[in-house]
Amino acid sequence: MLRITAQKSLAGAKVSPKHLFPIFSRSSTDVAKKPEKIEVFIDDKPVLVEPGTTVLQAAALVGVEIPRFCYHERLAVAGNCRMCLVEVEKSPKPVAACAMPVMKGWRIKTDSEMTRKAREGVMEFLLVNHPLDCPICDQGGECDLQDQSMAFGSDRSRFTDIDFSGKRAVEDKDIGPLIKTIMTRCIHCTRCIRFASEVAGIDDLGTTGRGSDMQVGTYVEKFFLSELSGNVIDLCPVGALTSKPYSFTARPWETRKTDSIDVLDAVGSNIVVCTRTGDVLRILPRINEDINEEWLSDKSRFAYDGLKRQRLVTPMLRDACGELKPVDWEAALLGVGKVLKAAGGNITAVAGGLADAEALVALKDLVNKLGSEAVCIENSFPLDGSGTDLRSSYLLNNKIAPAEEADLVLLIGTNPRLEAPLLNSRIRKGYVHNETEIAVIGPKIDLRYDYIHLGEDPSIIRQIENGQHAFVKKLKSAKKPLVILGSDTLSRSDGAAILSSVQSLSRGLQDEMCDPEWKVLNILHKVANQVAALDIGYTPDLSKICESSPKVLYLLGADDCGITRADLPDGCFIVYQGHHGDQGASIADAVLPGIAYTEKQATYVNTEGRAQQTLVAVTPPGLAREDWKIIRALSEIVGAKLPYDSLEEIRYRLEEVAPHLTRYGCAEAANYFCEALELGKKTNAPIDTSPLDVKQKTLEDFYMTDVISRASPTMAKCVAAVQKQNLSKY
Amino acid sequence: MSYFGLNKLGTLLNIIKESGGIRASLYKLYRMDELKLGTLIGTDKYGNKYYENPRFFYGRNRWVEYAPQYRLEYDGSQVPAEWFGWLHYKTDLPPDKDPGRPKYKWMADHTENLSGTTGQYVPYSTTVPKIEAWKPK
Amino acid sequence: MASVILRSRVLTPKYLKQCCAGISTSVSRYSDDVEVAVKQREAPLIRKELALLNSAELEQKRQHEEGTITVDRPSNVSVITGVPEEHIKSRRVRIFMPAKNAMQSGTDNTGQWEMEFETRERWENPLMGWSSTGDPLSNMQLQFSTKEDAIAFCEKNSWPWFVQEEPPKKEAKPKSYGVNFSWNKRTRVSTK
Repeated sequence: MLRITAQKSLAGAKVSPKHLFPIFSRSSTDVAKKPEKIEVFIDDKPVLVEPGTTVLQAAALVGVEIPRFCYHERLAVAGNCRMCLVEVEKSPKPVAACAMPVMKGWRIKTDSEMTRKAREGVMEFLLVNHPLDCPICDQGGECDLQDQSMAFGSDRSRFTDIDFSGKRAVEDKDIGPLIKTIMTRCIHCTRCIRFASEVAGIDDLGTTGRGSDMQVGTYVEKFFLSELSGNVIDLCPVGALTSKPYSFTARPWETRKTDSIDVLDAVGSNIVVCTRTGDVLRILPRINEDINEEWLSDKSRFAYDGLKRQRLVTPMLRDACGELKPVDWEAALLGVGKVLKAAGGNITAVAGGLADAEALVALKDLVNKLGSEAVCIENSFPLDGSGTDLRSSYLLNNKIAPAEEADLVLLIGTNPRLEAPLLNSRIRKGYVHNETEIAVIGPKIDLRYDYIHLGEDPSIIRQIENGQHAFVKKLKSAKKPLVILGSDTLSRSDGAAILSSVQSLSRGLQDEMCDPEWKVLNILHKVANQVAALDIGYTPDLSKICESSPKVLYLLGADDCGITRADLPDGCFIVYQGHHGDQGASIADAVLPGIAYTEKQATYVNTEGRAQQTLVAVTPPGLAREDWKIIRALSEIVGAKLPYDSLEEIRYRLEEVAPHLTRYGCAEAANYFCEALELGKKTNAPIDTSPLDVKQKTLEDFYMTDVISRASPTMAKCVAAVQKQNLSKY
Repeated sequence: MSYFGLNKLGTLLNIIKESGGIRASLYKLYRMDELKLGTLIGTDKYGNKYYENPRFFYGRNRWVEYAPQYRLEYDGSQVPAEWFGWLHYKTDLPPDKDPGRPKYKWMADHTENLSGTTGQYVPYSTTVPKIEAWKPK
Repeated sequence: MASVILRSRVLTPKYLKQCCAGISTSVSRYSDDVEVAVKQREAPLIRKELALLNSAELEQKRQHEEGTITVDRPSNVSVITGVPEEHIKSRRVRIFMPAKNAMQSGTDNTGQWEMEFETRERWENPLMGWSSTGDPLSNMQLQFSTKEDAIAFCEKNSWPWFVQEEPPKKEAKPKSYGVNFSWNKRTRVSTK
């Protein structure tokens, strides 16, 4: 200790006052908030860090990257791989940079002789038991061990024991249809174990044995089934855990990476689409601290093989025998155009959750030009009160990232674990690191964290609103409460009453908040582009379609609306535009092949109101064309020409409708909370007594929810795996 | 006689006679652009006739008259492999006089070059299609 | 002959001086002392191609020989680059900061700006299954230190561009090994 102090004084004398000045100035201004920063030297570069910062983090601040295997910035510190050993001046032994907090004035040498020797030693031990099967290993080319052995590995082996005992060999485990295990390659970094227990909340993975008998596994024969399980593939620094669907498919340097956005849930995770020869080979997460950190849900990651099956590749028209027959674009557009013209404005359009904002605005413009206002989305929302006129009543107002800071979360009629796994991981992060309390009104579901179950009766909401429920005390005392209302609840017949009740409940809490940025009221959507559709002006009144008896029903990727032929009047012509043959296409009279999210540059708005765009990764299959272009071509045939010909022009139109739709990356905040509440109060409808329900209850319901994941064989395997697991005694 | 070239006239008459009359000769001339007199060495199973006349210089002294059913649609690939050798001076023994030629049951029948016809070989993609299209039920 | 070659290297004065000394016809040529020979002064060489130029032309020539030409207005090189018009007007350039690869912990090749063109069709060659493309620009990967450099480059080449802003960075929270063993917190490690 004394030595360090002496050194600090020496260092202080050496360092120019420039570095010291901020310390003093800071301490004088916000001394109560933040402790004084301390100065350390990484390879003689001074850096000011918070006390408690680890050596590895301090080094990262000056751009020095310390090699590591077990350390991961989003997981707990394990400190067991020893690769991050560094020399600290006047310390007799190297220290593990990932676990050691810095002390004042430490001089850390990340590139010294001692450091290098220590790392070379560690590397040699790791390679003693690691198989040399890089040429057949799927991690080859993106393997941390491979890379770091280039720097610290020896070019020859001292491992002469091979004839006697051989390298360690470990039996592979079957942990499900998504993750392939080659456990001999495992270097026991325990990242997967920490991910499973901290982030996914499933304590299935762990180690058994010790020394060279140590094994990572599931203790008993069991699948590692989680909605986030695919992330352990990314986390694994070697090829022990690799992707099963992607196995032996490609090398990382062969694939082209296209940054894009995921559309299989409403979170809008950032992804990288890896393609080769016009074929999507895999999907990886892309770091975005505001949305998905660096995780990705299994559906988003593995449902890409659904993009190759059940695709609509050619326009189709129903012939005289009542069968859909492939035709060319001209015939299809003329056929649909003729019907649209004849309908004389009696047209209804329904947009599905995967439709992009460009197509949505084009379709709305076309339908409006033809003299109809009936454009709606698949899901119902309450229309009473402010309805969907005010954005505050359909956004996840508080955004995704701050959910981890909440100290009390009230989930009403939602299952975030399956509807938005990455939001759930944020809540779980708060639960683990922030001691967040969670309460649920709705069915008892497995959220992978403990919660207080308040009941299924929706009248509890009203009780809380009126202050009659015991839970109110907790809500009132919370500093950062969060109320998340599921979209399933809003599509109930008493959705308006529940919404207004939740609005007033949130208002009461909001008024007591000292932080005006913190929004208590949050709505969680289930499908990708719901918010964009509502922003553009689509109405959520699907039930009225059948009453209005339209002559033409235009389905834009609407497969989950549950409309059948029987609901519609005779002679109603159904046009389906979309990329997958599913419910919508099978009832349609005309099919116009659109394209999926990996094939277009299109705008999507996630549940927090953040506009993001996908980019073209592969070209459309067959005759399929971009959705807004189809509608634009159709408009010309109908004689109501839409005034945009290029992506820039239609984006300009989007901007006209709602400027935030083209501000990519920004989440446009909603306001008018009070007004929405006031309007909502006027409805004054009673709340039903039927218990709150969510559609997705167990993990089985997670995998196949939309046209892409329903067409995916991998997702089908996942469902089968869950069912098999349910029969297992473990 | 040879001085006046009258022997040429005799040869011409001979050729016409061998070819089967004036009409047949004109047809042959139209079909093959030449009239040649030679010894019939043999006929293959497709009806092509092979002639030799050492009076012509080497390279022109062995020829084939394609079977009449080919009409004007004859080409070199209609010569079967066994006659090909004789026709190109690889051997002087025509196939029917050559005892050394192997004959097995499994030997395939000769096929002419089918390029440009419906029977031609068309390469196909050996790669699997990337996209599986939806088939309406 | 040698003198002609050497004289053409007028641009490097020091080199020239030595050479001229070596081939000079003056008396010191016969001197044994190199130093003397080098110091021997002669009339400066006149370059024929420069002799008749006026000062503005001389300045331009000088800049040209230095390798840089200053143009004081925004330049558009697309008219002379020979890039087909189709690949200038119909392309869209994305300027972005590459994200860290999720599969690895390394952060190399991040932190700089890059540009890329929109994806065009790539297909599998039916004979060998190799990847084919008709897009000559798809393999162009350029890195820039700033966003502005990338924009300027696109402007110069008349490519329409858009910038994908980098997602926000998060301040790292100090991590502690101790929380794994805290007795009253949920961070306590349950599985090992």
